[in-house]
Parts: sequence; structure tokens; C-alpha cells
Amino acid sequence: MIIKRGIPVSQGVVVGPAIVVGTEDMRVPERTIDEDQVESEIQRFRAAVEKVCEDISVNQKIASEQIGAQAGAIFGAHLEMARDPKLMGEIESQVTLNFNTPEFAASLVLGRYAKLFEELGDRYFAERAHDVFDLEKRILRNLLGQHREDLGNLTAPALVLAHNLTPSETAQLDRKYVLGFATEVGGHTSHTAILAGALEIPAVVGLGSFLSKVTSGEMVMIDGNKGLLIVSPDENILASYRSSQEEMRITAEKRETLTALPPETTDGTRIKIMGNVEFPEEAKLCRQRGADGIGLYRTEFLYLGKGKQPTEEDHYQAYCEVIESMAGDPVLIRTLDIGADKIPGEYEGLYPEENNPVLGLRSIRLCLYDLPLFQTQLRAILRASIDADVGIMFPLVSSLMEFRQARMIVRETMEDLEEQKIPFNPNVKIGMMVEVPSAVMLAEEFAREVDFFSIGTNDLIQYTLAADRSDPSVAKLFSSGDPSILKMLRMIINAANKQNIPVSVCGQMSSDPKFISLLIGLGLRQISVTPQVISELKQVIRSMSVSEAEAIAEKALTLDVARNVESFLRGELHKMCPDLIR
Amino acid sequence: MNIMSQTGTAQSEVTVNTANGLHLVPCSRIAELARSYPACEIHIRRAEATTTVDAKTIFDLMTLGALQGTQLILEARGDAADEVISKLVDLFESDFGLENRN
Repeated sequence: MIIKRGIPVSQGVVVGPAIVVGTEDMRVPERTIDEDQVESEIQRFRAAVEKVCEDISVNQKIASEQIGAQAGAIFGAHLEMARDPKLMGEIESQVTLNFNTPEFAASLVLGRYAKLFEELGDRYFAERAHDVFDLEKRILRNLLGQHREDLGNLTAPALVLAHNLTPSETAQLDRKYVLGFATEVGGHTSHTAILAGALEIPAVVGLGSFLSKVTSGEMVMIDGNKGLLIVSPDENILASYRSSQEEMRITAEKRETLTALPPETTDGTRIKIMGNVEFPEEAKLCRQRGADGIGLYRTEFLYLGKGKQPTEEDHYQAYCEVIESMAGDPVLIRTLDIGADKIPGEYEGLYPEENNPVLGLRSIRLCLYDLPLFQTQLRAILRASIDADVGIMFPLVSSLMEFRQARMIVRETMEDLEEQKIPFNPNVKIGMMVEVPSAVMLAEEFAREVDFFSIGTNDLIQYTLAADRSDPSVAKLFSSGDPSILKMLRMIINAANKQNIPVSVCGQMSSDPKFISLLIGLGLRQISVTPQVISELKQVIRSMSVSEAEAIAEKALTLDVARNVESFLRGELHKMCPDLIR
Repeated sequence: MNIMSQTGTAQSEVTVNTANGLHLVPCSRIAELARSYPACEIHIRRAEATTTVDAKTIFDLMTLGALQGTQLILEARGDAADEVISKLVDLFESDFGLENRN
């Protein structure tokens, strides 16, 4: 048994017989020709290129039909490359002026172009060097008269192993027979990854040299989740594969039935479970898992890692995508919640090294400081919210002054849009994250001015217990079950309920099943969690009554240290849901 | 639109909107279109640059390495310059007829 590790590029696990797509030995035999051979060699070259163009056209047709227009378009591009007059001119010059064989000339010229592409910097462009090599192989194959096995000849399901898979190699594959891919080279943007994604089959690339160790017909496993290729898996591995496939099937079935049921307590109280998302694509996942809306849309990804600030249009596109995915369900968008140091562009280096960036110019403070930055985001949110149920959430609000200023800027932004006759939703709700202790102490005052609260327990715990949760030396101090936090939660929830505004918890605490009874018992009726845990939390909610939850909360509030609170809640959870499905 | 082919010059500025930039497939569509106007010279350059590439060859177009958001200037000289520029602009604006996948 051989286990190789590579880059997982398409998820899933599959076991089956391998088919090794041959590595041809494309040695270019001769470099030079005699002067009197030039004429015939040029003819030979042109005939080969004609054939190549014919083959590519056939592949294009088949690929469009079998896989889709996108795959077909790649062949259109290859055809364009093959017909490129500049390319042909260069290769023919090498033959007529330098007396090179067409094979050598084609290799030389195409090799140069491939290198040019590789140097383009962007990964996607660099990967296209493989397309150039693909063309080179086709031309050489026709000039050298070689014949090859291609995937169009598969007659039974198999896992395809190769050095690298190019569009021409996969052009004629029958999707019925291809179960997975594993290649020696390649990355996330390689053709293998793209194709596997489109076909939704497992794939691992960049495994390094392994083809010499496996033969067609041998049993192999491709694990596209962990990035593994296992040749001749032993009985242990096969057994655990079979049982995990079975488990997955059962869980999927159970989850199906759960998705249909509402998160309601045994005494009929409906709890709203919303989703936390960062990327627009996650919104679809939330909907699939039955979320009641988006309770926290973190917008930071628009700023990070891009090297430049997002434009209003960038914001607008992202927000529209999420709002559309949620089809009318509420979406709460949190405004920029990072520090000045993380914003690309003018800020870099503008501020002296902050001692405490977490307590410095960030989030709402940064927004109030840099109005154009703030308004760009607000404009996009207001425009994207037309006919939708949207709320704007300000993070890190520490004083009433801050909230009032921010709200005023929203109103000013609305006035600007109105003057410019740009449509927007004037009825967006305006609320805040409750995560700073000062806001907790003034919860009643804030509750009178905001449209909703969202309790950010992650930061609240950090600021209240003065412990950095990413610092392992004090990690033990950071606990959602700390009595101080429970008392704060009670204060916030009471203040919200008194003013009849919605309140939810969007930090990690609400994704933890043992805290659900406590939160409901304290009066919370809405949580926002990672979509992956929605069905688990539904089960928990459906196993308790509000009165049971209230008793649990009352008892928890009498405990004086975090550890006791956590043990108590764990015990209660086990009593209520002995067999929780994760 | 029925325009009489005129010899002349024409130019336009466009923005690259496709998610992966001006990659192989868009470049092939541009080259294909450009080559169907043999009596016209067509060049493309980045808005802030002076070096141009011949729009009729896909290899040159790829070397622009134009990512999403890049501004490009299209220039044509010769027969039907207006027409080809107009069609090229359409190509860019329709995202080359590709599905918009994020």
C-alpha cells in the first residue's frame, strides 16, 4: 500500500480501479534539415497543423455537448492559438531560415510562449502555459505520427491518474466512467481542478512523482477532502471507507428530515436561527440548511488581501448576491470591523505602530474618522436593499455618541442618494453589535435608540475578562460560561425585551449546543450561527421547553465560576439530547 | 446598423470585467474578431502604458496579463475601423458571452 499526499482540489472520497493516462516520450528526434528539404518540411508542418485544427474542432464539439459551453470555449481558444498567424510565421521562419526541423521549431517557439505566460505573475495566467504545452504536444504528435490512448476509450468506471491532465486529454471523456482524478503536478487553478469541480468528483493534484508505482487496473483511493492518493488500500482503510460512506448516507438522510422541521421548543416557542456568513457563496449554504436569514454578514473580506480598497460597485455586487440568495429573508450587514492597519491603500504606514490595535482606530471609529470610506459601504448597502429586509449593524459601539453619529451619517447618505435620484431602501433597520462592556452597562439607554441588538460574545468576553482568546497562555480565562458574562447577557436581553427590540447572539457561544438552553432561558429568541451547525442546534431546541430552559438559566446564574457553569450545562445537554447528530 | 466601411481611425476605452481577467478564452474571441478585418490594423494597450499589442494574435493578447478591473485602450486603423472597434466594445461589455462565475 502506498499513501501519497497532495493538494485537495475537489472534495469527496472514491475507491476504484485506476487508469494511468500514459506519459508519452516526446523526444524531438532531429534538430536540423538540409536546404533542399525546406519546401517539403514546410508542407509537412502545414499538413500537421491542419490535422491538429480538425482534431481540436472535433474535441470542441464533443466537450460542449458532454460537459458544457465553458469547456467547449477552451477548445475554441486552442483552435485560435493553432491558427495564429504570428505563431505559424515564427515556426516557419525557424524552418526556412535556421534549417530546423518543424518538430524542433515548434517546440522552441511554443516553449518560449509558455515561458512568457508563466512569467505573467497571476496564477491563472501562468497555468495557461499548460495550454501552450498541450498545443505543442498535439503538433508534435501529428508530426511524429504517434497515436495515443485517450479517455474516450474508457468502458468502465475508473479513477484517472496522470502526470497532468490537459484539455485535449480530457476532451473525450465520458463522465459516466470517470470517478476521480489524481495528478503528479498541478494546483488549484489547473485544468484538472476546474474540470473536477465542474463534474463534482474528487481530485488531488501536485502529488509528486507516483505514476511509476501504479499500473492500470490497480485499486486506488482518491481522498479529495484530505488530499490523499492511496494505491492498493489495505482492508482496514477500505473498511473504514465503507463505514464512513454509510454514515454519511445516514446523516444526510436524517438531516433531510430535520431541514423540514422548524426550530421550535416542545412548548411551541419558535426560535429563529440565522446564519453567519463571510463570503456571498455561503448565503446559499445557509438557505439550504434552513436558516431564517443572515444574522451576521461580515464584510471584511472585501477589504482584505486585495491590495486595493473595494469600490462602491464591489460592495454593491457582493451585497446583492447575498440578499438575492436569501430571497426575502432578513439580512443583517455589519459595517467594516477591522483596524486601519488592515485597510489597503493610503492607511498603510500612515499611523504609528499602535500598542493596542484591538483598542485603537478600528471598526466604527475608523468609519467615523474616514467618512468617504464609511459612505462608500453605506451607499452600497442602501442601494442593494431595495425591496429587501436589511439591517445595518455597527460594530464596537462604545458610546451613545458614537451610535448617534453613525446613524446620522446613514441619514445623510440617504439624503445624498435621494438628491442624486439613485434608488435605495429608506426603511433599512439600524442596529448595533453589543460587545463593549460600556454598551452593556448602558443597555437600557441604547435599547431606546436602536432597531436591534446583536450580542458579539467573542469580543464581549475578551473585553470583559481582559483576556486575548488567541493567546494560549490565557486561553483558559476566556470562557462563554463565565458568571460575569451570564449576568451581562441577562442585562442586555432584559433591556431589549423591555423596549421590544429583537436581540440575538452571533458569537461562537450560540453555535455551542450546551449554551442554547441557557440563552433561551434568559429570554433570547434569536441566534446567529455558522450554517454547519444549524441542524444540530435545531435538534437541541426541539428537545426542550421554555420553562425547562428558564430553570436551567436560573440555576446557572447561581454558580460562581466558569468551570461549574460549563459542567452543569454539559450535563443538562446530555440529559436533554443523549444522541445528538453533529 | 448599416455603415459604409470607411477607412480611418477609431478608438475606445474598455474595462475588463471577467472574473479571471483577459484570459485565454476572451483573448481568443478578440483575436478571432480582429482577424476577420484583414484590411484594418488593430492594437490594444493598457490605459497607462504606451506599448501596444497586435489584437490579431492571441499570444500577444495574453501577454497583456490584464486582470479584472484593468482599463484598456483599443485602437484601429484602416477599413471599417469604426465597425471593428464597436464590435470589440460589445465583446468586452457582454463579458465575451461567458457565464459570470464568481
